[in-house]
Amino acid sequence: MSEVTQLVESLHPHEVKVVRAFETSKDDDSCTEEDLAKRSGLEIAQVGSALGRLQIKGLVGISARVPRTEVSLTETGLRYFQHYTPMVRIISALKKASDTGAQLTIRDIQTREKLDSSEVSEAIGELKQEGVIRITAGGIVEPTGRSSSTAELLQKLIRFLHEGTKPLLDFTPPEQAVIKKFSQKRGKPNEPFRVDERESRRFGLTENGRVIARQLLKEGTRNEITLLTPEMLKDGSWRNKRFRKYTISLQPARIAAGKKHPYREFLDLVKAKLVSMGFEEMRGGLIENEFWNMDALFMPQFHPARETHDVYFVKEPRHSAQIPEPFLSQVAAAHEHGGRTGSSGWGYTFDRMRTRRLVLRSQGTAVSARTLASAPRVPGKYFSIARCFRYDQVDATHAPDFFQIEGIVLGPDINFRTLLGLLTLFAREVAQAQEIRFAPAYFPFTEPSVEVHVRHPRLGWIELGGAGLFRPEVRLPLGVEVPVIAWGLGLDRMAMVALEIHDIRDLFSADLEMIRSKRVQY
Amino acid sequence: MPTISANRKDLAKLLGRHVTDKELEAWLPLVKSEIKEVDTATGEIRFELQDSNRPDLWSVEGIARQIRIKLNGRPDSYPYLQNAKSRRDQILVEQGLERVRPFIGGCKARGYKVTGEGLTQLVQTQEKLADIFGRKRRMVSIGLYRLPSIKFPLSYLLADPDRTRFRPLGYTEPMSLREILEIHPKGQEYGTILSGHDQLPLLRDAKGDVLSFPPIINSRDIGEVRVGDADLFIEVTGTDICTVMLAVNIMAANLQDRGASIEPMDVVYPYKTAYGRTVRMPQVFTRPRAIKLGDISKALGEELSLKDVRASLASYGYAVTGNGSQLLVSLPSYRNDLMHPVDVIEDVAISRGYNTFGPIMPATFTVGGLFRIEQLSDKVRELMLGFGFQEIVSNILGSRIDLTHRMRLPDGHPEARCVEIENVMSQSYECLRQWILPSLLRVETASSRSFYPHFLFELGEIVVPDQQAETGTRTEVRLSALLAHATANFSETHSFLELLCSYLAWAYSLTPIDHPSFLDGRVGRVELAGRPAGLIGELHPEVLERWQITMPCSAFELVIDLPGKTQA
Repeated sequence: MSEVTQLVESLHPHEVKVVRAFETSKDDDSCTEEDLAKRSGLEIAQVGSALGRLQIKGLVGISARVPRTEVSLTETGLRYFQHYTPMVRIISALKKASDTGAQLTIRDIQTREKLDSSEVSEAIGELKQEGVIRITAGGIVEPTGRSSSTAELLQKLIRFLHEGTKPLLDFTPPEQAVIKKFSQKRGKPNEPFRVDERESRRFGLTENGRVIARQLLKEGTRNEITLLTPEMLKDGSWRNKRFRKYTISLQPARIAAGKKHPYREFLDLVKAKLVSMGFEEMRGGLIENEFWNMDALFMPQFHPARETHDVYFVKEPRHSAQIPEPFLSQVAAAHEHGGRTGSSGWGYTFDRMRTRRLVLRSQGTAVSARTLASAPRVPGKYFSIARCFRYDQVDATHAPDFFQIEGIVLGPDINFRTLLGLLTLFAREVAQAQEIRFAPAYFPFTEPSVEVHVRHPRLGWIELGGAGLFRPEVRLPLGVEVPVIAWGLGLDRMAMVALEIHDIRDLFSADLEMIRSKRVQY
Repeated sequence: MPTISANRKDLAKLLGRHVTDKELEAWLPLVKSEIKEVDTATGEIRFELQDSNRPDLWSVEGIARQIRIKLNGRPDSYPYLQNAKSRRDQILVEQGLERVRPFIGGCKARGYKVTGEGLTQLVQTQEKLADIFGRKRRMVSIGLYRLPSIKFPLSYLLADPDRTRFRPLGYTEPMSLREILEIHPKGQEYGTILSGHDQLPLLRDAKGDVLSFPPIINSRDIGEVRVGDADLFIEVTGTDICTVMLAVNIMAANLQDRGASIEPMDVVYPYKTAYGRTVRMPQVFTRPRAIKLGDISKALGEELSLKDVRASLASYGYAVTGNGSQLLVSLPSYRNDLMHPVDVIEDVAISRGYNTFGPIMPATFTVGGLFRIEQLSDKVRELMLGFGFQEIVSNILGSRIDLTHRMRLPDGHPEARCVEIENVMSQSYECLRQWILPSLLRVETASSRSFYPHFLFELGEIVVPDQQAETGTRTEVRLSALLAHATANFSETHSFLELLCSYLAWAYSLTPIDHPSFLDGRVGRVELAGRPAGLIGELHPEVLERWQITMPCSAFELVIDLPGKTQA
């Protein structure tokens, strides 16, 4: 097979059409994409990509570049299309105000219309210059009654350009002046228009291209096949067909596929790890009473972290059903005077109504408390991945609700050193850390309490979690005689690194493109 | 967790030695602290203290003391806690205060010439104790005074709010107590502590001069300590005698550490207290506790000798007596956080250093496993992923607008009922979602630029009111699926629901219903084994408009953990 035939066979049908479109034109070395589209019956985009591939194959070259100035809308322009320009909004706000006899300052306008201060001051300056408004003593903005031709023209141009990009030369000189005035420049990024110098390119066939074109002409319309059909297979007619050769290096089209959510995938890995280490799952409700959320954990009812600035309270209903006995009496006794726990207790009167107050679960340890009270296995290991809620200003490091990964380990052999051993295991298995450090910590429900820090390959020393041995005041009133480790892992920071996000709120992002684009974890 | 700021030079002076960064780092575990910030130019260090039961550590003196004891291997001595017999100047308490603010204490501190840094630290300690430990002065408030201006004995009495006048800090003119409550910034801030009382607490000296109006404000004349003052008087009032005594003890220890010599006071009550009618302050008021050596070894997982434990506790500030297997331990005067022997055990471990204990790997065999509902959830997720759906995870807190209004659910609609938060911080997070579909629509709204089709699902928790349930609410696991593309419709959605149920062997049926969120005639209730278990339908165009979605959407939502659901 000759090189020419080989090349012809590898041409995509669109490429064939484009090459033919050149041949049929009179001046075949100076065609625009639009010309070729018209003649070939293809879409502009199809012509564009065919031309690109033909250039790579050395069949088409650029014969001329003609500069052209284009105008388009920016993000700001799109916003102005939807919500009108600040000038128009200021004029209408002033009109509305004067209808009711109200007086507005620049600040009033800004807050009322929710505009940027820079947008407002620019628009006010423009309107003042045009004599549409004046500013009286006391900073009151007053309409003069004159209308603003700039504002009207600007809004008209925005509407027009919303249809699509237009050449600057299509506009009248006064329109061009307004476009230039309100287009993005260095130091003025928030303007509605963008003026771009583009070039319109003209294309022509190369020497080789002409050879191919002649070959195509010679061949006429070939009997070339793109798709193999079931019919061809049934009747065997595929034997007489010629199958077009594909250019297999082309970028394929995107497809929508099913994929795990990246954060859930991370949590699934942790869940699988914990199960593989012999941990059994525990679960609880999103709404808890203070008893299980705090009192059973020996947090005194006057503890500062129990006030409205730390916990979300349920509006309705306010209280849960009665707390089951003997847990209520035993927990109350532990708070008041220690009960039979060997503790002196907090020394206050336990409020048996308050303990039923409903809250949004603020810590996963509430789930552990319920597990302790329901005759857990001894020895036993438990975990939960529980959604929790805290009264925090939502920002890049605080999500309105979040997952807590925590659990308990019960057994007669549990002590401080086995606690450190468990944390070492977590550090190795969950964080793949080799270097580990322990430091004293404080939690109201454990003693001793410990914080574990690990050396993360990318973040350096980070806190992996907190743990401790449940105080006897926690486990004895719930009927557990053996020592119990309580542990919690703070993995959100690790998840954020793995998922390459910097804002904790993005763990629950609503941006599908971002969710789809995340790679899988393994 | 309180954060305090200290000066490096001041810390070194209190420690009596130079401090390197590395040393400081190594000592921090002794005080459960983290350094938040260091200003190398000014030498300012900001410490965050973790232990909310150790207010003695919320000052540079306290931090230095705990480290110093470790370096010396034994506690400091506080001579003012001895010679209990000698007579002391008195504070006389008047009848009636037991109903308003029952307890007062104090001491004199002589011979420490207050420096600028010293005053800053004194005020910081006073504020942290009153604010955090004293619950914004409700349980404890502290006043500092210039000792030479005071004539003893003092009277702690109840005064008439209008007839009692003095010059409060920050003002040049005398004001009545009522005026202070109404006008003075501290009165406005703390006045509610005294609300409901028509007679108010007042501290006056033997000349009749006012020291302060506790817990609101000091007198400007006696109660304004300045740099250079050498003799001070400290007063503490509060609602709990132990808390008051502890605050006095901490202030006294801090001042002695700075070089003052402390003179105790006797408080004479007309009513009974847990420590009698005449109470010496400062004094050691906590009782020694017995603890078995074996219990310490067992809890820590290491055989410790009596000598080891004694050394560890002595170098952490305890007084230890006893021998053999039983120890008698006493906390230093500035601590009151020993509720249970485990508190002592932790201090043994801290004093020795956590990293000196060798970890023991868990050796007990246990079988891991998931809840039935979690296994089922994972199966359902797997199926949905196989059907080509993208998984979504959303916040459970949401706004009423999203959960009901944008879904066209009118206020009284049974499905508009959701559990609301009482102390809302932000309108965007005012209630718990009662269904998942709005979470998926939120994604659709934000994602019109991502290429179509959009097949989304979320499997997660929701909460609905339920009078029968223990917490008056029920947490349910649900699946919601959303299809968004140019021809998204009921029958396509139904195909996925049908396939899901058939793989799970769930016998389902659809019943036509009216539902405001969906197009009339294109919505149905899903029933599993004859019980309502979800919804399927084409989203109403007005719902889509309210979400600013310009792509047809069709969806179903299904309860996954319906109790008693039977397989087909």
